[in-house]
Amino acid sequence: MAQVGVRPGTLRRMALRGGAVLIMLWSVAPFIWQLSTSFQEDRALMSPTPSLIPHPLTFEHFFNIFAVKHFQSYVFNSTIAAGVSTLLCLAFGALAAFALSRLNVRGRFGVLALILSVSMFPQIAIVGPLYLIAADLNLLDTYTILIVIYLALGLPLVIWVLFGYFDTVPREVDEAARIDGAGPIRLLLQIMLPMSLPGLVTTGLLAFIAAWNEFMFALAFTSNIDHQTIPVGIANFTNLYYVPWGDIAAASVVVTVPLVLLVLVFQRHIIQGLTQGAVKE
Amino acid sequence: MRTMAAPRRRRRGNWAPLLFLLPAAMPLAVVTTYPILQGVWLAFRNTALATQENAFVGLANFRTLATDDLFWNAWRHTLIFTGISTLLETAIGLGMAIVLSEYFFGRSLVRAAMLVPWAMPTVVTSKMFGWLFDGQNGVINWLLRSVHLISRNIDWYGSTHNAFGTIIAADVWKTAPFMALLLLAGLQTVPKSLREAAMIDGASAWQSFWYVRMPLLAPTMLIAGMFRALDAFRIFDLVYVLTGGGPADSTEVLSTLSYKTLFSALLFGYGSAISTAMFITEALIAVGFGIFIVRNMRRGA
Amino acid sequence: MPKTTPTGRPADTAGRRDFLKVAGLTLGAGVLGLPRRARAADRVEISFAAAKWYGKETIRELTEAYNQSQGKVHVTHIELPPPSSSTEVHQALVQQLARKNGAPDVFTQDVIWISEFAGAGWALPLDQYVSAATRTEYFPGLIQACTYQGKLTALPWQVDSGMLYYRKDLLEQIGAKVPETWQDLVTVAAALQKGGQAKFGFLWQGKQAEVLVCDLVEFLGSNGGSVLGPDGKQVLIADEAAVQAVQFMYDTIATSKISPSDVLSWDEEPSRRPFTGGQAAFLRNWSYVYHIAQDPKESSIVDKVGVVPLPHFPGAKSAACLGGYQYGVNASTKNREAAVDFVTWMSSPATQLHFATDLGLAPTRPAVYDEPTLIKAEPFIHSLREVYVGATPRPVTPKYSQVTLALQSAVSRALASGDVKTELTAAKTRIAAIVGA
Repeated sequence: MAQVGVRPGTLRRMALRGGAVLIMLWSVAPFIWQLSTSFQEDRALMSPTPSLIPHPLTFEHFFNIFAVKHFQSYVFNSTIAAGVSTLLCLAFGALAAFALSRLNVRGRFGVLALILSVSMFPQIAIVGPLYLIAADLNLLDTYTILIVIYLALGLPLVIWVLFGYFDTVPREVDEAARIDGAGPIRLLLQIMLPMSLPGLVTTGLLAFIAAWNEFMFALAFTSNIDHQTIPVGIANFTNLYYVPWGDIAAASVVVTVPLVLLVLVFQRHIIQGLTQGAVKE
Repeated sequence: MRTMAAPRRRRRGNWAPLLFLLPAAMPLAVVTTYPILQGVWLAFRNTALATQENAFVGLANFRTLATDDLFWNAWRHTLIFTGISTLLETAIGLGMAIVLSEYFFGRSLVRAAMLVPWAMPTVVTSKMFGWLFDGQNGVINWLLRSVHLISRNIDWYGSTHNAFGTIIAADVWKTAPFMALLLLAGLQTVPKSLREAAMIDGASAWQSFWYVRMPLLAPTMLIAGMFRALDAFRIFDLVYVLTGGGPADSTEVLSTLSYKTLFSALLFGYGSAISTAMFITEALIAVGFGIFIVRNMRRGA
Repeated sequence: MPKTTPTGRPADTAGRRDFLKVAGLTLGAGVLGLPRRARAADRVEISFAAAKWYGKETIRELTEAYNQSQGKVHVTHIELPPPSSSTEVHQALVQQLARKNGAPDVFTQDVIWISEFAGAGWALPLDQYVSAATRTEYFPGLIQACTYQGKLTALPWQVDSGMLYYRKDLLEQIGAKVPETWQDLVTVAAALQKGGQAKFGFLWQGKQAEVLVCDLVEFLGSNGGSVLGPDGKQVLIADEAAVQAVQFMYDTIATSKISPSDVLSWDEEPSRRPFTGGQAAFLRNWSYVYHIAQDPKESSIVDKVGVVPLPHFPGAKSAACLGGYQYGVNASTKNREAAVDFVTWMSSPATQLHFATDLGLAPTRPAVYDEPTLIKAEPFIHSLREVYVGATPRPVTPKYSQVTLALQSAVSRALASGDVKTELTAAKTRIAAIVGA
């Protein structure tokens, strides 16, 4: 008849711990290896027994990327392009999601489907025509073109997720606000956005990461260090054939650590934020 | 009780939605709509930058596409890749999500760490996997030999049998944690009270999972699966950097084929036809998922 | 004395100091108002789009040197991606040149794009500016690569080619001579592998990418074969010479086993690393490997490496695949005289010497190799002169970008399956359709 799990306590706890360790290893092991490589001489890569502890330890890779290859310029450019585009993405996306959820938009699921389909087109096919437009408008090698592109790439996800969030806010809230004399703007800014904070944080972070790591458009549209972003910078570490492995590892460490810290700070919001809203309790 | 909309709304509703939608619509239109339209338009021409041809050729490109072995080869690979990687990532992601949905010490750290694969730039992870799985000096081979799971180095990328699987492995590594986070959110919407009720009724842990949590998780899984499938279909960086489509075209996917046609051979007409074919296939996949999602939502209501 | 490698390692301080001194003096002279050159406003403005290179100097600095050296022309340097992103460089150039609005006036083109740009009418023929006598001052293979349908549409800049690296110490150990034929190489490599001195006998690049065509052209050429005939329309890839050459490539993995099957996924770097890690006896690769092999922080085989031209099959000569970027003048340029003046200066012996010592780019003028400065600063480049004399271009056709994709696919399949004859015949049909035979 009824069979409650045998010895649920210890077995379950062990399985949990084991699972957690595996997940940690899965996610972090290659990164740890990158970290280790960034402190080793390139020669050590070829040794028959790879070692996690750098021996001899060297800081030359970090020195190289900043002093010789001016990596800080790429970081600065990426921060601007990804940061501004993410903020705008959240702002425009919130407005659009609000309109679709609350204001009478006919065929709103059609609009949502259109937005989704726009993000399904292979990006490769867009690069060519866009390049020609940008060249005509003298927008090559500017922050503007990158921001506009990353904005367009991030909007579909932001709109969909925020729409999901807004849609689960009960209409009673709207009514209450209207009785208080609040217009749609105040409804959005003072009520719905704060209630959707986890959604904002999550999509903001995902949009930021996507823009931070975007490669194809950045490569096509920027051609000098004043505007090139991190992925392009890393790709340009390779002169002709030689791949400076230690330098690349150092750069990837420099680039990933801030993102991980950001995630650590916001992680509670992120988990809540990925919920489509409805907690049926 | 209160279900009527205030009559004032209808008058205001006319231009307010447009104004709200405009800021988002503009970049979307400029960046995606125009180039997409131009892309589809190009598919009906024989535009080739090097020879400066640019004439309307009707369905000629598509007719060539229908008999092009290389295209169907890439199409098959792309579909297989999409199917297997989405399934694996969803399954493994689900496992990870279940572990993470329970409370244990250090959970926040693990959750933060899980975004690392996703956060590392693709340029870096591609090259890194290339080196990890290097047939002769890669760490993976060394590890496997150290624990005596294999006796000789495996040629991960040089063999037509292994290369495809290795690319799938690289993608699963990168994306499973991301899927786990999406599914975790879905898991957390399953009310505890339901699970407790099931336990009291005498259901085992497995039954509780399968019959209580899974059905409620289904919509999230379908939506996450759909987004992931659409993304997987367009895989590019990993394949381009690791194998370039080889060896012997065994890892060629539609994105890399399209890229080579557009930017190496500069056949903008034919390349656009390939992109259009990609888009059509993706739309079919989306519609397929959409039907399941709608049916599922209706059933669960 | 610390060198600068083409990899862009910290500079030779003496050279940098000198350059800064000169730059400082020039700047100072300008500031003090010493007899000034014509104001920038009076100069003809031209633009120069060049792929990016690291070295002791940048190409921009060299362009500035030109600007300082005369008063008629002012060049603005536009930086393109580095050659490692060659598809992007190609795409950027094509999109600019196709608009035919005169920008950029001067550009750099990979040697494999020369016929394509010439066939599209984007590169200005330079015959009237470069006399026949001047043309003999360059390597003949290079002039041949820069010529399309009898017209010179590119001016040589730098050259690189495939070459054979070998472990001097290992050969000494077994008392072997440096191999001149492929069969000799197989014998020596197999012996070294069997004796345990080397883990791998011979490493090359078989990845399905452009480099595969480079390796192919070398094996093919060293057997007297070629992909296309001299008219650019006859397809010879399925001929006996070609079948033998590709069969040999397959045999190194399958039969004599001197190469690991991994070479089918390796391009330049993955094949270089085991060699500089001390695991291989022979390596086919470009010139960049040498400096890495001599760098103690990178290599375990310092001072143990020798370089010679690649082996050949009996009855034919060694073939080295020609690589490197060259200059081109935009056919739509509105400043023809200025552009030609600039390009002539860039291709002059003095500037080529400068490129060699400061950026590690090998000159395309044989005479420059004998300059004492070069011999002292880059003895390795000096030793490569004989290798470059035998450099042969890849198939010369305006449709090269499509031909290479077809070749990569076919040869990769042949090497994976061993069905050499079948795959090469299929390649012949495809390529014939492309070049319109």
